[in-house]
Amino acid sequence: MRYEAPRAIEEAVALLADAEGDAHVLAGGTDLLVLLRAGLVTPALVVDIKHIEEMCEIAQADGGFRIGAAVTGAEFGEHAELKRAWPGVVEAMELVGSTQIQGRATAGGNLCNASPAADCVPAMIAAGATCTIAGPAGRREMAVEDIATGPGETVLGKGEIVVDFLLPPRPPRSADAYLRLIPRTEMDIAVVGAGVNLTLDDDGLCKDARVALCAIAPRVLRVAEVADALIGSAIDDAALELAAAAARAACQPIDDKRGTVEYRTKIAGVLVRRAALIAKQRAGNGS
Amino acid sequence: MDIEAPSYKWVGTRPVRPDGIDKVTGRAMFGADFSLPDMLTGKILRSPHPHARLVSIDVSKAAALRGVKAVATAADIPEIPVDNAFVGDAPTNFRHWSSNVLAREKVLYDGHAVAAVAATSPAIADAALALIEVDYEVLPHVIDVKDAMRDDAPVLHDDLFTAGVEPKPDKPSNVAKRVEFTLGNTEAGFAEADVVVERAFRTKAVHQGYIEPHAVIANTAEDGQSQVWCPSQGHFMIRAACAKLLGIEISQFRVFPAEIGGGFGGKINPYLEPVALLLSRKSGRPVKMVMTRAEVFRATGPTSGAALTVKIGALKDGRIAAAEATLTFEAGAFPGSPVGAGCMTGFAPYDITNVKIVGYDVVSNRPKCCAYRAPGAPIAAYGIESVLDEIAQRLDLDPIDFRLKNAAKEGTKAAYGPQFGKIGCIETLTAAKDHPHYGAPLGPNQGRGVAAGFWFNFAGQASAAVNVNEDGTAIVTYGNPDIGGTRASMAQIAAEVLGIDYDKIRPIVADTSSIGFNDITAGSKTTFTAGLAVHEAAKDVVGQLRERAAKMWDISVDAVVWENGVARPASSNAGDFDPLALADIAAMAGKTGGPISGHASLAATGAGPTFAAHICDVEVDQDTGRITVVRYTAVQDAGRAIHPSYVEGQMQGGVVQGIGWALNEEYIYGSDGRLQNPGFLDYRIPVASDLPMIDTVIVEVPNPNHPYGVRGVGEVPIVPPMAAVTNAVASATGVRMTELPMSPPRLLAALENGS
Amino acid sequence: MVLTNWLNQRFTDGEPEIEVSAGTVRQLIAELDGRFPGIGAELEGGMAVAIDGEIFPDPFLEPIRADSEVFFLPPLEGG
Repeated sequence: MRYEAPRAIEEAVALLADAEGDAHVLAGGTDLLVLLRAGLVTPALVVDIKHIEEMCEIAQADGGFRIGAAVTGAEFGEHAELKRAWPGVVEAMELVGSTQIQGRATAGGNLCNASPAADCVPAMIAAGATCTIAGPAGRREMAVEDIATGPGETVLGKGEIVVDFLLPPRPPRSADAYLRLIPRTEMDIAVVGAGVNLTLDDDGLCKDARVALCAIAPRVLRVAEVADALIGSAIDDAALELAAAAARAACQPIDDKRGTVEYRTKIAGVLVRRAALIAKQRAGNGS
Repeated sequence: MDIEAPSYKWVGTRPVRPDGIDKVTGRAMFGADFSLPDMLTGKILRSPHPHARLVSIDVSKAAALRGVKAVATAADIPEIPVDNAFVGDAPTNFRHWSSNVLAREKVLYDGHAVAAVAATSPAIADAALALIEVDYEVLPHVIDVKDAMRDDAPVLHDDLFTAGVEPKPDKPSNVAKRVEFTLGNTEAGFAEADVVVERAFRTKAVHQGYIEPHAVIANTAEDGQSQVWCPSQGHFMIRAACAKLLGIEISQFRVFPAEIGGGFGGKINPYLEPVALLLSRKSGRPVKMVMTRAEVFRATGPTSGAALTVKIGALKDGRIAAAEATLTFEAGAFPGSPVGAGCMTGFAPYDITNVKIVGYDVVSNRPKCCAYRAPGAPIAAYGIESVLDEIAQRLDLDPIDFRLKNAAKEGTKAAYGPQFGKIGCIETLTAAKDHPHYGAPLGPNQGRGVAAGFWFNFAGQASAAVNVNEDGTAIVTYGNPDIGGTRASMAQIAAEVLGIDYDKIRPIVADTSSIGFNDITAGSKTTFTAGLAVHEAAKDVVGQLRERAAKMWDISVDAVVWENGVARPASSNAGDFDPLALADIAAMAGKTGGPISGHASLAATGAGPTFAAHICDVEVDQDTGRITVVRYTAVQDAGRAIHPSYVEGQMQGGVVQGIGWALNEEYIYGSDGRLQNPGFLDYRIPVASDLPMIDTVIVEVPNPNHPYGVRGVGEVPIVPPMAAVTNAVASATGVRMTELPMSPPRLLAALENGS
Repeated sequence: MVLTNWLNQRFTDGEPEIEVSAGTVRQLIAELDGRFPGIGAELEGGMAVAIDGEIFPDPFLEPIRADSEVFFLPPLEGG
């Protein structure tokens, strides 16, 4: 197995594009190293991207944020401005793993691992985040919701890597929230997760909303019907019940050791309702 | 309590444990920390099938691989005949263990060991495993205990005929044994009862969940002498098992106890050790084997899952009129579930005239179950204490008052037969009732449950030595692996008897060739049993110290007393001498008869039974079915706590494991008979942030059979939690959960069904 | 002297309690085997006894008084 730690994105792209056999990107390693140890992958090449500066930074740009794909959960949590603008994105990323894992696990890894239960992805999708993809043909931008196509599957071609996430500028009276259900309090994988991002108008009515759910389909889904149920409402009980019903209707989950179809469907409704209320309260507080 | 506490200098204090610094700094040597020059890596090939006949195993390609130094299968170890399956009267059937360590003729569960290799690197060992060709004839399998009892179930062992039924069955089945305990006449009792509650319960197999995986190094020299380093709950047991399973004499090898990272009953039996020893003897090199976590889950532990029915009748005044229970326990691939102990313990906290308990031990295609903290008792207590809670509710009685009204006391005839001696059941329940927790207000969606528990506690064989050093310090040597802080307890006992400071005593756990035989660290017996041996060995030293002082003073030994760490003349008639401290006498040992060394070897009896009463508060999320334990208090009779912190630690640990059993832990099998959750991600033991601080109350009703009154403490704390949590959930929601674990999907479904 | 249920079904015609005079567990088992041939092997095969309420997992020479109550119990194991 060959290990490379390039300093520039172009170099990483070239290594991956030219690789013969199985090549893997190593960010925090919290998925890859586990697979390696279990003998489930046997890469010919591992490209460590943590030495590429651009991928390890959080920058404020054009009123929004540019977050490198190799930024860790702990760094999300330590960034006061990011936390103030996007509390839901930060709380989602901070749910990945344990305190120790937080020092390693990255948002880019969470996205590209393409787990249907990835915690930071629904929050990013709800936030309307896009990402920059670098590849042999240059750079392109893509919505986060379009990256994963199924469990473990992404649109990324040979030699392509996700460089960063772009969070848009925040209108006033906007906030987001992410909730997941796990049987324990940490060290677990979402049975269901829900990210809700809201903008309120001056009367406190919901002007804009984006909602995404994880662990209820082969990939993380943006659910426009849930957002539609909230938009124009005071996010009252009636709207929340419509939103919950829309969330339940969007679910196409599986039965497995972590949850049943029936349970996941019910919980999607519960979490959407609760996350929307948190986001509403945050937005109303002017955060 | 009206028992006057004697004044002790060291017993009942909380000194730092001698192994503490090493354990918190990472210096302590656990099983996987050892290595030796020229060491090979041993690995095991495991069955992917839950049930299959081994048509053939071809190891030739693996053996021929460069770097492979030994390959082993069951053909390399002697088949143990049926009539020679036991060592002494211990319940371990070595014929079964032999087939469990390396499968013979059939594989009986997903993960069953089939073959082993030793190679010069882990990668070569893996490659060698892949080259072993096993021809499996896959057979129908059965996982669930109730399915395994059906007439048309696949039969695991064609020589297994249900024991305990008359006449002897004419065909084999998966029901290994039926046991029954009766007292009085339950039919007549139920006829008199004002309230009768009958419920059926299910529990899932759960693993002991120790953090340290099984690990071993075995090394064999040219003269055939072997040495084994491994963590276990008894290196003498590992020695006995290796000797029996491999057919070698005990004098041919020596077992060294590594530090052990948790056992809870799961490190009593041999898994890797005989295999590593075999590979080492075949290769002539050191062989190290360390299980992965998946191997630990698939092939070691767990304790039984069970199906039970409980029926209890009571009079309006709260007296229990009659009680019946049927317990059906999974044994795993070989007979030997703890159903007998389950039957004997469940009703033991109560004085009941009419009792009938029936138990079934049932094999199925799961790993061979093994002991887990008070084996059998938590399962029985779950069903019985749940039904008692419901009866108290129906009779509108306080659940602790109801239990107190029926509580066992000295002279009570236990449901399993014998009469109790001095016990602390009433004292324990009373202390729970008096605890501030019991009357504290509850918040919304919260509920409170209580449950009681009983465990026998065991005694056994032990050997100890106390060697006085020439500077007046001492070494205490004993032979039980220190799991719960027994080094500290042994040093405290020796300090108490000798009258010297705890810090002057260094306790060590000796290997099998350096001290006489010792039973396993299990059955809550070590502080009691090894402690008695240390107590006797220290008394032996005191006798020698008096003799030496008598020689130094040239008076009769009868005229010398030992008090507070010094020899004094018994009276002024004996003469006028300045007291001699232990160090003074030790300094003169060479001139007064040689080294001062006390020894004791004994078979202890009289371990006092113990009782626990727990109070649990939960908060239930009604929309998601998630349960949070918000407050928990464990009360327990310790007889006398030698080191209260370690008693409290045992209580807290047992409670946490019981909460895990109640809430989320379970073995999950697919329809293919394979274990789906062999890792800590999906086998959910509680994490620290899931739990409140577990409050503890130690009650002390001294055991009359021990010089300090010690009772075992390590097991009973896991007995009440499953029922305590279930009863709390019933109080919070009105829904009584009769199936564990109460994971969120199960509880939400039950809340919606209102059942 | 009281037998565990399945033994009395098989050996003592259902009688659960039997009077035996013996000074130790070993003598007790020998005495029983004389009266109910075959029961000795069962009782020696890994059963525990309780003598006047105290459990002995590995019994042999334990003394029994004239008025003692002895129970035979299935093998027990701690964790």
